[in-house]
Amino acid sequence: MGSVTLNNIRKSYGAVEVLHGIDLQVEDGEFTVLVGPSGCGKSTLLRAIAGLETISDGEISLDGQVINHLPPKRRDIAMVFQNYALYPHMTVAKNMGFSLRLAKESKAEIDRKVQAAADILDLAPLLERYPKQLSGGQRQRVAMGRAIVRDPEVFLFDEPLSNLDAKLRVQMRSEIKELHQRLRTTTVYVTHDQIEAMTMADKIVVMRGGHVEQTGSPLELYDRPVNVFVAGFIGSPAMNFIEAVVQGGNVLTSDGAMLGPAPESLSDGARVTAGIRPEDIILADSGAEAKVGLIEPTGAETQLTLRMQGASMVMTTRDRITLSPGDAVHIRVAEGKLRLFDIQSEAAIR
Amino acid sequence: MNESARPFYWAFISLCGIVIAVYVLFPIFWLFLASFKTAEELAQLPIGFWPQEATLQAYRDLFDSGSQSSQLLNWPTLISNSFIIAVTSTIIVVILGTLAGYAFARLKFPGRDLILGGLLVSRMFQGAALLLPTYRLMNSLGLQDSLLGLILLYSAFGLPFATWIIASSLREIPVELEESAMMDGASRLQAMVMVVLPLATPALITAAMWHFVGAWSEFAFASILLESSANKTVTIGLASFVELFTLEFQKVGAAATLVAMPIMVVFFFGQRYFTRGLLAGAVKG
Repeated sequence: MGSVTLNNIRKSYGAVEVLHGIDLQVEDGEFTVLVGPSGCGKSTLLRAIAGLETISDGEISLDGQVINHLPPKRRDIAMVFQNYALYPHMTVAKNMGFSLRLAKESKAEIDRKVQAAADILDLAPLLERYPKQLSGGQRQRVAMGRAIVRDPEVFLFDEPLSNLDAKLRVQMRSEIKELHQRLRTTTVYVTHDQIEAMTMADKIVVMRGGHVEQTGSPLELYDRPVNVFVAGFIGSPAMNFIEAVVQGGNVLTSDGAMLGPAPESLSDGARVTAGIRPEDIILADSGAEAKVGLIEPTGAETQLTLRMQGASMVMTTRDRITLSPGDAVHIRVAEGKLRLFDIQSEAAIR
Repeated sequence: MNESARPFYWAFISLCGIVIAVYVLFPIFWLFLASFKTAEELAQLPIGFWPQEATLQAYRDLFDSGSQSSQLLNWPTLISNSFIIAVTSTIIVVILGTLAGYAFARLKFPGRDLILGGLLVSRMFQGAALLLPTYRLMNSLGLQDSLLGLILLYSAFGLPFATWIIASSLREIPVELEESAMMDGASRLQAMVMVVLPLATPALITAAMWHFVGAWSEFAFASILLESSANKTVTIGLASFVELFTLEFQKVGAAATLVAMPIMVVFFFGQRYFTRGLLAGAVKG
């Protein structure tokens, strides 16, 4: 078992509060990703779970037991650090077996567990090497190996892929996900990369300014963001936002082009922020007018930057197109895909 | 500088280095060679450079209980006293300097950087200015003319710099290594001993060497605090010896070489750590 419950977690540095009462439930075996821009408090929250930061208020529980007061070593939680934090003066085997040595396990048992973890992570040929003799990806795997030999209740990952190049990052992403599917250990993973969050998580927690903005499955967050921030943060390319007005039961752009139907809760004249995902913009014979700006083919799809009402909108299409920059086009929003947000509070309008 | 001038520039720099080295080392080497000569050879004119018949007689005289020099100065006692003082105070300085350095490097407390800077300021006082107050203090504590008194005094003088060197080095070790060790089940002390200190070895060795050399060769405080011949150290012994045997230069050479030997051994084995330790914190890693 390894369910983590955070109840009203607050953290202050002097007069500055950086976590403003975080509530979160991480189920046993779940892969939860904390995501948000720099300074949103995600790493502080992770370190609080680890016991490396004290909290100012609230309760952290593991399987129902409050662990606030326990030092890191008594929490049965393993952590993989951003810079790997491998002990430079120890071999890979010694690095991986360090926790077991501290736990006073027998040498035979340590060797067996280290070997088992090395087999899982393809590290067996590297066991006698020192960290400086390893590539970035290998170091990352050793850091994970060090965590898994302990067979802890919870794994914590603090931006573990941010030091790797793009190709290796994709590879390690899959490896971490496979490892989780194999071990089913509860995992809390911090990243600022929303693609990492989308591809790896069972549950995503979007944070901003020390608050949780939204918690849910990746597709829930993608399809039903609760506010402009989450809508803009999740998804790449990001959602387009445009000011719009409700008239005659429809949502119209400022020059009167129709975007989609308005919900009944909105009366005529209401001003809203319309959010449209790039893949939900369709080229049509009629509809809002736009001019083609940039055309960026990636092979599988093409990304177009459109200029309308002085604003830019990005659309993606899997069709092969024959447009050129400067061409005038008409666009419409795919049915049921228009998202609306309150222009003041930025909250989603359902 | 253009490319063609570069070799000349380095040749000039190297030449300056060699001239300075010869200027500094020649008297020491001369003394070393003299210790292998006989009294007669040293009295000859013109003076020869290499010993004609190298002999260890001057060294034998230092330790031969029947010789005049050995009767006046007991070299085994002098050496043993200096070793006890230098080694013990080095151990104290390294242990306390490590604990204090760790606190300065890792713990947050008000005035931390000010105090750490203040430690360096304490080294700016001329030793001579402290002679009299130190003498009165040691007297009032009943620690004059005792090895313990000198051990405590040298430790107090040595701690600030050792703390500063060790703190600078520990600040360069990523804190995540310790946090990782703590996540792995280590207490803070275990993390420090098993992970941090092995990585700070150059700084610890540098602090130890620096202190040992200073304590071994210290003269002023030892000369005013130590009175009985049973407690004297090699530096006091050497000073007395030079006065007593000015004319027997081979013996002076042997005694000086003997006194310098531990320092040379320490530097020989520790030199590769020494610059690394002193440069800790000098550049971004």
